[in-house]
This record gives sequence, C-alpha cells and structure tokens, in this order.
Amino acid sequence: MKVSLFATCLANALYPDIDLTMARILTYLGHTVDVPEGQACCGQIAFNSGYFDDAREVARTLIDSFEHSEIVVGPSGSCIAMIHHYYPTLFENEPAYLKKANDLIHKSYEFTQFVVDVLKTPDLGASYSAKATYHPSCHATRLLSIGDAPLTLMKHIKGLELVPLTEAQLCCGFGGTFSVKMPKLSTAMVAEKAQHVLDSGADLLVGVDMGCLMNISGYLEKINKPVKTMHIIQLLGEGMKS
Amino acid sequence: MTMYDPTVDQRVDKALANDFLRLATRRATDRLRNNRVKAAEELGDWQKWREAGETIRTHVVANLDFYLKQLITQIEKQGGHVHLAKTPAEAVTFVKNIVREHKAKNVIKSKSMISEEIHLNHALEDEGSTVIETDLGEYIIQIAGEPPSHIIVPAMHKTRQQVADLFEPIAGHPLTSDTPTLTRFVRNKMRESFLQGEIGITGCNFAVADTGSIVMVTNEGNGRMVSTLPRVQITLMGMERLVPSFRELDVMLNLLARSATGQKFSSYTTILTPPKQASDPDGPEEFHLVILDHNRSEILGDKTFRPALNCIRCGACFNVCPVYRQIGGHAYGSVYAGPIGAVITPLLENDWYKWGHLPFFSSLCGACSEACPVRLPLHDLLVKLRARKVVGGHTPKIEHQIFKTYRFFFTHEKTLRKALRLGSKLQWPLVRNGRISVGIPPLSNWTNSRTLPKVSPKSFMQMWSELNRN
Amino acid sequence: MTNTNEFISLLASKLGRPTPTQAPEPVAINVPQYRSSTRKDRASLFLDNWHALGGKGMIVKSPEETMQCLKEWFGDQQATWPNKQQAIVAWDMLPTVAEFAFAALEWPLVRYSQEAQSSPDRYSLAAQAELGVTGADWGIALSGTLVVNSSPQRGRAVSLLPPLHLAFIEASKLRDNLFDVLEELTSLGMPPSAIEMISGPSRTSDIEMDLSIGVHGPIEVYVIVIDD
Ligand code: SF4
Repeated sequence: MKVSLFATCLANALYPDIDLTMARILTYLGHTVDVPEGQACCGQIAFNSGYFDDAREVARTLIDSFEHSEIVVGPSGSCIAMIHHYYPTLFENEPAYLKKANDLIHKSYEFTQFVVDVLKTPDLGASYSAKATYHPSCHATRLLSIGDAPLTLMKHIKGLELVPLTEAQLCCGFGGTFSVKMPKLSTAMVAEKAQHVLDSGADLLVGVDMGCLMNISGYLEKINKPVKTMHIIQLLGEGMKS
Repeated sequence: MTMYDPTVDQRVDKALANDFLRLATRRATDRLRNNRVKAAEELGDWQKWREAGETIRTHVVANLDFYLKQLITQIEKQGGHVHLAKTPAEAVTFVKNIVREHKAKNVIKSKSMISEEIHLNHALEDEGSTVIETDLGEYIIQIAGEPPSHIIVPAMHKTRQQVADLFEPIAGHPLTSDTPTLTRFVRNKMRESFLQGEIGITGCNFAVADTGSIVMVTNEGNGRMVSTLPRVQITLMGMERLVPSFRELDVMLNLLARSATGQKFSSYTTILTPPKQASDPDGPEEFHLVILDHNRSEILGDKTFRPALNCIRCGACFNVCPVYRQIGGHAYGSVYAGPIGAVITPLLENDWYKWGHLPFFSSLCGACSEACPVRLPLHDLLVKLRARKVVGGHTPKIEHQIFKTYRFFFTHEKTLRKALRLGSKLQWPLVRNGRISVGIPPLSNWTNSRTLPKVSPKSFMQMWSELNRN
Repeated sequence: MTNTNEFISLLASKLGRPTPTQAPEPVAINVPQYRSSTRKDRASLFLDNWHALGGKGMIVKSPEETMQCLKEWFGDQQATWPNKQQAIVAWDMLPTVAEFAFAALEWPLVRYSQEAQSSPDRYSLAAQAELGVTGADWGIALSGTLVVNSSPQRGRAVSLLPPLHLAFIEASKLRDNLFDVLEELTSLGMPPSAIEMISGPSRTSDIEMDLSIGVHGPIEVYVIVIDD
C-alpha cells in the first residue's frame, strides 16, 4: 500500500523521531511511505478555542495536502479524531470541501488502529523489557473509538509487562489550549493522573498522543519524580531495533 | 487579558485549596459513577435505552408547542391552574401571589432546580413566610445559605461535622455527627413542618402531556409529603420537561434513576394528576403549575443548541467530569454546575462576562457525552459555545491575533519550517537540563507546573525532505 | 402576563412552523424488555429485589400462613405499642386474606378514610400510628416496586406517615417490568390523582454519601405476596 504520513504539528516540531519511526515501521511492513508537503496541523488548537474560521483554513490546507493520498496515517488519536469528528462541522456550509473532508475521513487512521485493525499485523516482532502502564487518551478512545488497538500491540511486545492504571479513563488535563487557558484546573487534573501513574508501579508510561504524554511526563519531571515516557511508536521502534 | 469575571479565578483557587471538598467530590462522584455503570449493565443493552431516550427527548423538544398546549389544556380541564412565566421574576411573582392569596405562613418544599434557578426562597421569606426545604441535602444548604454543589447530592461538599454544627442551633442541644443522629433529628423536626405545611412546592421530573400528570422522583419521601399533605400544591417546571404519554415514561424513568444514583428506580416515583378528587381522603385541593421559559425558547430556536433541552437532569455528566471532580460545584458560580451547567448557564443567562468562563471549564475529554443517558453531545456543545463567544466579540483582541498568527504559519508549511528552525535557536534562555522549564506568559501557564521538550533543531518535515534529497 | 396562545405561538415560531393540530406520530421505542419465564420466577424475582432494597417479604398461601407471618414480623412490637387501638391504620378494604388475619389476631384496624372527618385529623391519625397497611395494584418484578393507585377508599398517607408500611399484593398482580404496568395504567383511562411507585424504604445519602434509611417516609417496609 502507499501510505501518506500525517506528521502532526506536535511531533513535527518537538518529537520528529516519532514520525521517522512511524515511517520506518510502515516501510518495514512493506508499504511505500510518502510525506505530502504543505501539511501542518489538523486545526484543533484553534477549533477547541472557538476560533472556527482560523481552524477551517488550517484544516483546508491539510485536506488539500492529502488530496491525492490513498491512505493517511498519523501518530495521534486526537488529530485524527479532529478530522473524523469535527471536519464535517467545520465545512458544513461548504459542500465542495465537505466532500473532500469526507474523503479524508474515509482514508485516514490513527497509527495503532491502522496497524491492528486494517493491516492486522499486531505482532511487529518487537521486544522491550519494562513494566509499562498505558494511558488511554480521551479523544483516541472516546471520539475515535480506537479501542484496544494500542494494548494489542503492547501485548505482542516480548518482555513487556503491562500493569493497570487506576482510573485510566480520566482525562490527564491536557486538553490542548485548556492547559494554558485554565492552568490551575489543568494542573490539578494532571497531578491526579501523575499520582495514578506513580501508584501503578510502572517504570514506563505509554500512550498514543504526545500531547497527553508531554503533559503527564512534564508534570512528573517538575515534581522530581520522572517516569520514562514513550509514545507507542517510540516503544515499538526501540523494540524492533533488537 | 481576561474578559470574564475575575471572581472566577478566586472561586477556583478556593476550591482547589479545600481538601475536604475535593476528596468528598471525588469519592461521591466515583461512587455515583460506579453505581450508574452497574445499573446500566444490569439492565442490558444500555446503548439501545440511551438511543430511545434521545429519540423521545428530541421528539418532545421538536414538538414542544404541541405537547405544552396539550398539557396546559389537560391540567385546566382537571381544575388545575397553569402559570406561564417568561422570566424568573415572573415565576417568582406567580408563586408569591398564590402564597399571599392564601395568607400562607408555612411553605414546605421538595427539591426543585427551577426554584434554585429563579431564587425563590428569599423572595418568599421577604413576604414573611417560613419556607422549609425538606430534602435533607437541600435543607442543609438552605441553613448554610449556599447554592447546591451537585444537582443530585446538593450538600456533597459538607462534612458531617459541618452538618451537625448547622443543625445544633436549631435543635437547641448538642448533636453527635453520626448519620443516624442527624437523620433522626431531621425526621422529627420535619414531621411538624410537614403536618403544618399550608402550601407545598415541588419540582417536576417529567410532565405527561396527554394526562396532565406530574412525575416526581425522590428517595426520602419528602416529595410525597409535600404533594400529599398541604391543601395547596405548586409545582415548578422547566418548559421542556415533558413526555407525550405514560408510554415513554418507562424509558425515561429507567434512564433517570439508573443514571442519577444507580438505583433501578428511586424509592418513590410518584405520578400525580392533581388536584385530588373530591372524595379522596388526602391530597391537595388546589393545584398550580408554574412553567418557566427563561430563554429556553431562545435555545429552542437555535438549532445548534436545541439538543441542550434534551437534558433530564440526572447528574451523570457531573460524576465523570474531570474538572468537576477537582473543584466541585461552587467554583462554577452557577445554579447548574458540571458539564450541563457549563452548557446551559451561558444560554439561559445570556451574560458572557459573568458566565463566559463556563465553556472553558472542560478539557473537552468527552466523558460527559459518553455518560449522558440521552446522548447529549456535551463536549461538542461546549466547543460550539466557545465559538459563539469568539464570534460575538467576547474574547480578547490579543487572542484573535494569536490565532491569526497560528493560521498564517500553519497554512504556510515552508515558512513554518523556517520559523521552527529559528525557534529552536532562540529557545536557549528557557532551557534547563535539556528541557524548557521556565517561561513567560502565556507559556509560564504551562511551565509553572510542567516542563516542556525543546523545539527540535530540525522539524520532521525538514528532515524528511533532506533524507529524500540525498 | 403571558397568555397561553402567545406562549405557544412563540414556541411555534422558534420551531419555524405552525403548531400541529394533530398529535404527532409517537416515536418507535425499541428497547429489550425483561420477561420472566414463569409466574413463580416473577414472584421470586420481585421478592429478591424487594429484599435487596431492605424490605421484608414473604409469599403466603393461606390465612393461617398470613397470621403466622404477621405474628413473626410484628408480634413482639405489637405487645409494646402504647395505644393498640390506634396503632394500625389501614385502607377501608384490604384483600380478604389480610382482613381475616387481622381479625383473627384481634389486632384492631383504624380505617384511615372513615375514622376522622378532616384531612388534618386523618394526617395526625396516620402520623401517630405505628403501622400502615395497604394493598397494591401492581408489583414490578424487575425492580421490586409496588405500584399503588389512590382512591376515595384508600388514602395516600397510609403508606407514607407511619414508620412501618405493610402491603398485601396478589401474585397475579405482579408484572415483569414498568412498561407492562404503564400499558395497563394507560388502558384504565384517566389516571387517579396519585400513583405511588414504592421501591423500598425511605432513604437518603445526602450526608457524606452515607446511606441512611427512613429519613421522612417509612423506616421499614413489608410485603406479603398472596399466592392466588
Ligand atoms: S446532560 Fe445528560 S448526563 Fe448531564 S444531567 Fe443532563 S441528562 Fe444527565
């Protein structure tokens, strides 16, 4: 298959290794990977702040950049959920772009969803020894319904012990601009999440959304109780090196 | 930079500093949530019940004029009186007039969120009547002079010791703070009030259009007392709280009880078709129904927000909300707190300065929408409210500028690459031990409690094109 | 002050159409309903749920068994009730089995709707009683609920004011779920002034979420299912 990567703004700027690893894994699985130029962001930052007009133009740019792609895969449940859940709202009054948006919706996947549900290759032959816990990000689970795909991938990693996270379904308090607009609420929320991570006894925190992970690990680091944190793609990438 | 009431931040600070409040809220909401999940599983096919609930509510709201008219006609035919209030002030006046006409000194009330919405108690007390809230939780906050902190458990924020301290002056003797003592005190105290009540004021969970009935759901039995013993009954209802007939009640009552407290049904579900028949040995001889609009008609006319009228006030969204969990109800500042309060308060009150913060009391995690028994897309409505606020010009200019800038860079990917490269070079003053851990506003809102990774010297897009070139 | 027509037509305008003159087509409701396989299952589910709510319940086959049950539940207390003549308040008419049992035990019943002239007098009668005895119109197995219609011979306060409430219900009046009860209620035509659905004793969790029984309504609830 020919797979186009959606780098996502956060990974592009702060965690380019995630995108690189995603490319590497998909190539390893026998697919041709390209990265259409012009793509930048799903528009969620502006959308969630209520700036729909600004979000729409950013979304339009994204739609245009993937117009000729067959399949689009991104390393963030939240960004893909933005496309699936909100693009129809953004373009409700623009039939031409609504159609293009729907095309994108039908061909876009979050990485774990793509590998497990579409490619049906849950076992990537990775091994990594750690005691890991998984934070199910809200948008990936609630808006995109990726279900257990990430856990399925993790269960196939040799040497990885999975421990449960208490109240896993609770939001970590990231919420995009929420974290800077309502910093105190956000901090109270991440403090609770961080405590659950510490209580889990895990030495590795894994997730599918770098925004949430950046929030939780950033807090843990600030309180001097850092816990190693990896995006699931980073984890698979490390595990597949051996 | 804020364009909202500064007391919001003070309330949040106060709530965050109150350890008991936070622990109590967490415990109570966890319990209510677990009970709900269990009760839903027990019933089986919960998603089908939710769909049915949504269908019924949407149908009622889409035909609200018809069903209200039917209800009004039916009640009047049965000898009841209907009062249509456009505003809270009008609703208060209706109630006041009835109380005045009967020269009633003792008014007893069962739980009604509409009465909170119109701030009824003070108005009646100013008239010289004694108004007693008979729901235990409502009674506690009435004495404390506070608004409810949760729509199902109004005194969730109070410790048993605080409750004992509130009751003692009324009891006139010391009370221990164990639950049986406190409940027994209230039982004895309220008995007199029930028997002396001249007018009973109740809320209304559902009104049945074709029979002119009022459905009331309570656990303590106070709702039954208030609607059985006094000679006059006044029921307050929000304009939208209807079902067409008994047929739809099965779904609505199952959803309501299971979502609110995780019970199969509440201890008492009462279907009243007042006033009493002449030869009935008890029940009210006179019945008044006050129906409140208070901008609900505006919401009805607004397709985007019309679904907000589907709410059945079960409180399930409160119990899963990670924001409510941290701060409880009072920090919201509104009569209705939690996710649904954050949606309807700005719509009902129409005051962005005072209530513009509410749509932002959410990380948009969607837990509320997932829990809602009538499938209200609460998180969607919250984000759409934010958009309303922006379009209405109620956000700061600088914010508009920020998003214009964002839009520019993220629609010009090549320029963005350059900007990121520049950023990675300029970030060093903020970097400690390889992480960004100090910042200036608004970045400091993040860095005060969290570190941030550095901007990568090369963005992925940059790396990829370089890789491909080689 | 707004009149009805004005109020309704504002809503119609908000909905963007004139108010329908005919009742809208009812919505289809597709929810799976619980169905018990036998009458016996239904009765035992009803009692299981009633017990789970904290109520006491028993199935009886004869007047003798009823007496036995009453003695067991109330015998000891009855001996200590100060005003035995006024201790038990009841509807005008109870199921025959009940009437027989109380008569045979020589436990006097005060008839709520006949004993006093005015409502306030009736209320204090019921408030001072130890036990309120009623029948019931339906029982709901799935939730352990009693459904009780009001009528001139009954009185709503009997199941509300005394600290103990005892209800008699014929097994033939048990239904699987609320849906079935509502269907039958609908077919009765105009509903009575009150339909009380009672699921267990009065309860509250308003103080620190600590469950407490009997805050305003009955503290203990009993049901006797008559195997008819
Ligand atoms: S919005 Fe839904 S969950 Fe929240 S109170 Fe209303 S009905 Fe319940």
